[in-house]
Amino acid sequence: MIKWSEIGESFRIATNALRTNLLRSVLTTSGVVVGVVLVVVMGWTINGLDAIWDETISIIGKDMIYVDKWNWSGGGNWRKTETRKDITLEQAQALVARMETSELAIPLARQWGGSVSYGNKSIRCGIYGTTFEYAFTPAGVTEFGRYFNEVEQRQADNVVVIGYGIAKAIFPDGDALDKQIKIHGIPFRIIGVVEKRGFLFMDFIDNQAFIPLFAFRSAFGFFDRSFSIGIKAGSVKLLDIVRDEAIGHMRQIRNVHPTEEEDFSINETEAFDDQVRNIRIGIWTVGIGLTILAFIVGSIGIMNIMYVSVTERTREIGIRKAIGAKRFSILSQFLIESALLCLTGAFIAFPISQGLIAGIYWTARAGFDLEFLSVVSPLIQIDLLLIAIAVSVAVGLLAGLLPAFKASRLAPVEALRYE
Amino acid sequence: MTQPDQQPIISISHIAKVYEMGDEQVHALRDVSLTIGANEYIALMGPSGSGKSTLMNMLGCLDTPSSGTYLFNGENVSDLNDDELAEIRNREIGFVFQTFNLLPRATALQNVELPLVYAGIAKAKRIEMAEQSLTHVGLDDRMDHKPNELSGGQRQRVAIARALVTNPSIILADEPTGNLDSKTGQDIMNLFNELWRAGNTVILVTHEEDIARHAHRIVRMRDGLIESDEANTKPLT
Repeated sequence: MIKWSEIGESFRIATNALRTNLLRSVLTTSGVVVGVVLVVVMGWTINGLDAIWDETISIIGKDMIYVDKWNWSGGGNWRKTETRKDITLEQAQALVARMETSELAIPLARQWGGSVSYGNKSIRCGIYGTTFEYAFTPAGVTEFGRYFNEVEQRQADNVVVIGYGIAKAIFPDGDALDKQIKIHGIPFRIIGVVEKRGFLFMDFIDNQAFIPLFAFRSAFGFFDRSFSIGIKAGSVKLLDIVRDEAIGHMRQIRNVHPTEEEDFSINETEAFDDQVRNIRIGIWTVGIGLTILAFIVGSIGIMNIMYVSVTERTREIGIRKAIGAKRFSILSQFLIESALLCLTGAFIAFPISQGLIAGIYWTARAGFDLEFLSVVSPLIQIDLLLIAIAVSVAVGLLAGLLPAFKASRLAPVEALRYE
Repeated sequence: MTQPDQQPIISISHIAKVYEMGDEQVHALRDVSLTIGANEYIALMGPSGSGKSTLMNMLGCLDTPSSGTYLFNGENVSDLNDDELAEIRNREIGFVFQTFNLLPRATALQNVELPLVYAGIAKAKRIEMAEQSLTHVGLDDRMDHKPNELSGGQRQRVAIARALVTNPSIILADEPTGNLDSKTGQDIMNLFNELWRAGNTVILVTHEEDIARHAHRIVRMRDGLIESDEANTKPLT
C-alpha cells in the first residue's frame, strides 16, 4: 500500500518547501519552540528534583525503619495519633533487644525546638539522644571528627556530634572540633561534624545534634517523652521481613490486642515519597498546562501556514494528481512537511532550552549558594530530547491533518485550473 | 481506423456531464459517444464552451461523467473512485498541457521521474527510464536544468518526455502549441507525428485548424454534442 518512493518524494518536497520559505517557516514554529522549551525545562526540573530527592533519601537510608508514636507523612488521624501512649524507654529497649532480622536497632530520644549556643551565637535545632551505633546508619557519617563511642555513651559523656548546618552557622570558618557548645545550658564538647545530608526542603536534617542517650537524660530528662527506634534492615529487599518483625514485637510489647490497630507508626523514607509526588504533580500540572497552551497556539500557527502552503501549491497538487498521485501521496506530502516544520521548531528550541537551563542552574548555584544543586546536571537529558522530538512531530502531524486532508481531496481538474 | 478484431482503447457511450452553478444546471456534455482505437491520431476541436475541455477531462480520467459509460481498455472507469482513477492516469495516460505544467523547482529529470515515483518504481530504474525518455525528445543535454532555465519548446519537450515515460496507452495533448511560437509549435507537432508513427495513440485537443490538420481524424464539438466526426484524408504527417 505505502510506496517508499512516494515517501522519499514527500521528504524531498517538504525539505524543499521549508528551505524556499525559510524565514516564514522559522517564524511559524515560534509557538512550537516555546512549547518544546517548556517541556524540556520542566522535564529537567523534575529530573533534577528526583536526583536531589534520591540523594536525600539515600542519606536517610532507604532501608531504614523508624518506629515512632508519630506518623511522619502526617497521614492517618492526627487526633488519634495524639492520644497514643508515649513509647517508653523500656519499650524502645525491649524492641531493640528482640529484633533479630535487622542489622541494627537503636533507641532514639528527641528534643524538638532545642537550641545550641556558642558565645553569643545560637541556633535552633533538633537534639537527639542515641547510642554509638547511630554512627553505622547512613545518617551517621562524619565529615570531620568522629561519632561518640560505646564508652562515651555508657559514661554519658558530654560530647556532641553536630549537623553540617549547625557547624556552618556557628563555625563558618570550619573549626568546630573540640569547641565547647552549650545545649540547654550544659556544655558539650564537639567531637564530630556530620557530612552535609539535607537537600532543599529536607534542610532540617542538617540542623540536628547527637549526644549520648543518658547525656540527653541529664539535659532534658526522659519524663513525658516518647522514644523512637531506628531500625536498619540492611537492604531494601529485607524491609518487608524486618517491618513485619518490628510490628509483631511492638504489638506484644505495647499489649495491642490482635483485633486492634497499632498504636504506633512505622515510618520509612517511602512516607516522603507522597510529598515528593505531590510536588512533581504540581510541576507537571502547571508545566503541562503551559505546554498545552503553547502547543495549541503553535499548532494554530502551523495549521494556518499549512493552509497557505496548500493554497499556494494548488496547481502543483493538480499536476501531481494528473500524473498519478493518489490521495495518500498528497496527504503524506503535506503531513511530512508539517511534521518537519515542527521538528525544525524542536531543534531551534534545544539550544534555547539548554541556554535557559544553564542560566537557571548557574544563577541558582552561584548566585543563591544552593550547593545541593551539585547532584543535578546542567545538561538536558537525552530522553527529554527524544520526548520533545516525539511531541513536536505529533503536534506537527495533528496541526497538518486538516490542511493535508483538504489538499488530498482537491479535484485534479479544479486544481489544474487554479492560477 | 478501428480494426474490428481489435478492442478499442477508449469507448464512451452516451455520456453527459452536468455542473451545478448556483441554482443553474450547466450541461457541459449532453450525449456523447466516441470510440478511439489503438494508434489513432485524432484531433478534438471546437470553440470554447463547446464541451471539448470537459470531454478531454473525461477522456483523461481527470473527471467522471454524470451519466453514461466509459470503457478504457475494456475496463469501466465511469464510477471508479479518486485513487483508482489516479492509478489509471498514472499507468495509461500521458498528459501534455498548454501551460506545460512542470514543477518549477524540480529539474527536467525530476519532472520526468515523477510519474514513476507514483508508480512505485525504484530510484535507479526511475532515473534510467527518465533519462531514456528525455533523450528520446532530444533533451539529453538539459536533464539537470530547471524549467525556468529552458525555452518554451524545451519545456514542452520535457512535458512530452514525462507523458511518455510510463509508456501509456494514450497521449492526451491539450493545446500543446498554444503557448509556443509557430516555428517551435511546428517542431512540437513533428514530435507528435513521430510518436504516432512509432505506434502511440495521440489525442490532440485544439481550436486551431492548422494543428488539427496533423491528425487523421477530426472530431468537432458544439454545445456539448459531437457535431462531426470525420477522417482527415490529407493529414500533415
